[in-house]
Amino acid sequence: MTSGVFFITSKYFRKKDNIRMLLLLVPGLVVIVMFTFYPIIKMFIMSFFDWKIGYNQVSPFVGIKNYIAVFSDPIAGIALTNTIFYAAVTVPGQMILGLLAALLINGIKKFNVTFRLLYYLPVVTSWVIVSLLFRYIFSNNGLLNYLLTDVFKWIPEYIGWLSTRWPAMTSTTLLGIWKGIGWNMVIFLAALQAVPEEYYEAASIDGAGYIQKFFYITLPNIKGTILFCTVMLTIGAFNTYTPIAVITGGNPAHQTDIVLTWMYYQTFSSFKMGYAAALSFIVAGIVAVISIILFKVLGHERI
Amino acid sequence: MVISGCPTPPAEEVTEEATKKEVKPAEEETAVVTEPVTIQFWHNYDAGAGQIDVLDQLISQFEKANPGITVNQIYLEWQALKNNVVAGATTGMLPDVLRGDIGFVPQFQALDVLVEMDTAFSDYADAADAVLEAPNSTAKSGDHYYGIASNTNTKILYYNKDLITTIPTTLDEMWATAEEVSSEDVIGFCEAWMGGWNLCQYIWSYGGDILAPDYSTATGYINGSVAVKVIQKLADLYAIGAFSGPTIDPGAPPDTDGMGTGKYAMTIDGPWKAKDLSAKYSDLQYGAVQMPAGPAGSIGVLGGEDFMMFKTSDAVHQDAAWKFIKFMTGKDAQVEMAKVGQMPVNKVALADDEVIEAMPLLSIFADALQTCKARPVTPKWGDMEGIINTKATEAVLGQKPVQTAMDEAAAEIDALLQQ
Repeated sequence: MTSGVFFITSKYFRKKDNIRMLLLLVPGLVVIVMFTFYPIIKMFIMSFFDWKIGYNQVSPFVGIKNYIAVFSDPIAGIALTNTIFYAAVTVPGQMILGLLAALLINGIKKFNVTFRLLYYLPVVTSWVIVSLLFRYIFSNNGLLNYLLTDVFKWIPEYIGWLSTRWPAMTSTTLLGIWKGIGWNMVIFLAALQAVPEEYYEAASIDGAGYIQKFFYITLPNIKGTILFCTVMLTIGAFNTYTPIAVITGGNPAHQTDIVLTWMYYQTFSSFKMGYAAALSFIVAGIVAVISIILFKVLGHERI
Repeated sequence: MVISGCPTPPAEEVTEEATKKEVKPAEEETAVVTEPVTIQFWHNYDAGAGQIDVLDQLISQFEKANPGITVNQIYLEWQALKNNVVAGATTGMLPDVLRGDIGFVPQFQALDVLVEMDTAFSDYADAADAVLEAPNSTAKSGDHYYGIASNTNTKILYYNKDLITTIPTTLDEMWATAEEVSSEDVIGFCEAWMGGWNLCQYIWSYGGDILAPDYSTATGYINGSVAVKVIQKLADLYAIGAFSGPTIDPGAPPDTDGMGTGKYAMTIDGPWKAKDLSAKYSDLQYGAVQMPAGPAGSIGVLGGEDFMMFKTSDAVHQDAAWKFIKFMTGKDAQVEMAKVGQMPVNKVALADDEVIEAMPLLSIFADALQTCKARPVTPKWGDMEGIINTKATEAVLGQKPVQTAMDEAAAEIDALLQQ
């Protein structure tokens, strides 16, 4: 009898708890469904239509035509290659320099906060402002050419850093690296502080040097953080838009476009909604595959 | 996408069903303003030139003369104006009046969002008679008018007086001058972009064209001998450092800054260039003349803006919007806008003494307007310009032979025309 009452009561409370939990979840779920799931599903549907946005217009079903159009579009190929280049350079670049900054800052007692603040400053600065700044630095009559040519006289003529594809992409990746060091530093600093001090003490007793400690203690203990940073930064690199839009605008002749600037152009200049939706799903697929590979390679460490 | 200012939607316009509802022409419903109505007006008047201040004054005058009508003006820059209409076409959140690029008319008409104004308003013909015919022709798509001209412009040659001593009168002379004055610090000639807006003028003036007159094909036109010769000339000038621009070389200074700092010796541009140069580089000694002529004459590209109205507005809003458009295309408003750099389309305003005094280059533009031409009026023109820009840039940069690049452009444009 007692156990029966207990069962009913606990069931009642469980039910009540479920309702409460549901009520707590509803606002978040509504937002996610409205602004994440619904647009994803809608866009997936759009990618199979010649999607018309006009008043009272019918959108014909075109099957996989938009996907074929993306794969056969040379500019989409250029944009994708540029994006992969941007990711391949900025992700390791930010992480290596961010980790280096974290190691240096972690080892000092004085001005620790000052250095953290200074290194983090670019992260909180507006993308548009720093992009304009970099455009000024790398333009034909910009600061870099002035220093190299007029001040130090290391080169006889100005270099067109932004004039052609690869120098322009390289200049933009430098911005991406510079702006991301601070974020990586903060994440790695937290990870480094979580590595037990005893490991280093034991290694010191065994006669391990700085390099051995770094490779055999530090790196294995922050593996989860490395995976987290790699995945997040790769997704971020594929979502890059502002630096290219501001620095080169995809010029000349779309040769410095990246997937988002090309997607934007197709959407708002050519009204090709179906094409842009297909491109976005292809990019999402690529990011998903890269993330899965990273998880396989780096293992399922706790993040 | 951020909609900078949300228009007041008529009660039914935000639902998908409502966007599909057939809106009757204003006349068929009671079009008398019986209760206060607020119309939404999207535009891209230039605040820096003082145009929005003048617009505010004009709106006050209009509201006083038309009790019960309030005009809510919202500024959007060129691309944002287009983007918001694209987004609004889906949601039904469109303004009652829009003043935007003449190139928007066929593009928006293809989205089926514009009011067929010559059918909707019996006095459209009277309003159209008051404005210049050529600029108003840009509001025509097929057999009907989907807008009315707001202001007009074309392009003329601006040159740096310190660098150019002999003013070129022909295009051949202009290329030769560009070559002569170029040096390590000076680029003879600048074009801000390589689309049709920038290349049509040269191709037309040398006797060529972009498309067949019936818009059936680009083959034999954009890749014809005249167009190829023009683009080859620009490629040759680029190769020797006598021609550049911010889209050909993203590291090069923007056209206004390049002219202002003496980096560029010449450029061909619209009336806004005079305002920009005077405002930003008051020390610059620049001159302006009609665009140098080719064998077929000096044939510039017709530019400007049109007023448009949207089907999503109900009859009461459409009636109020049409009153506002008539006011803005009337003599008084056009004279006031001319004082801040907008070239009038109203025939009476064009001859007004105040306008002539306010626009020192008016006579040069007036001459240029006599011979300029409108770009092809087709909803695909935006895409075509993109193709021309890409292929011509590749050719000018020397990445492809000019003929090859323009053959590719012709094939891509033909594919668009066949859709």
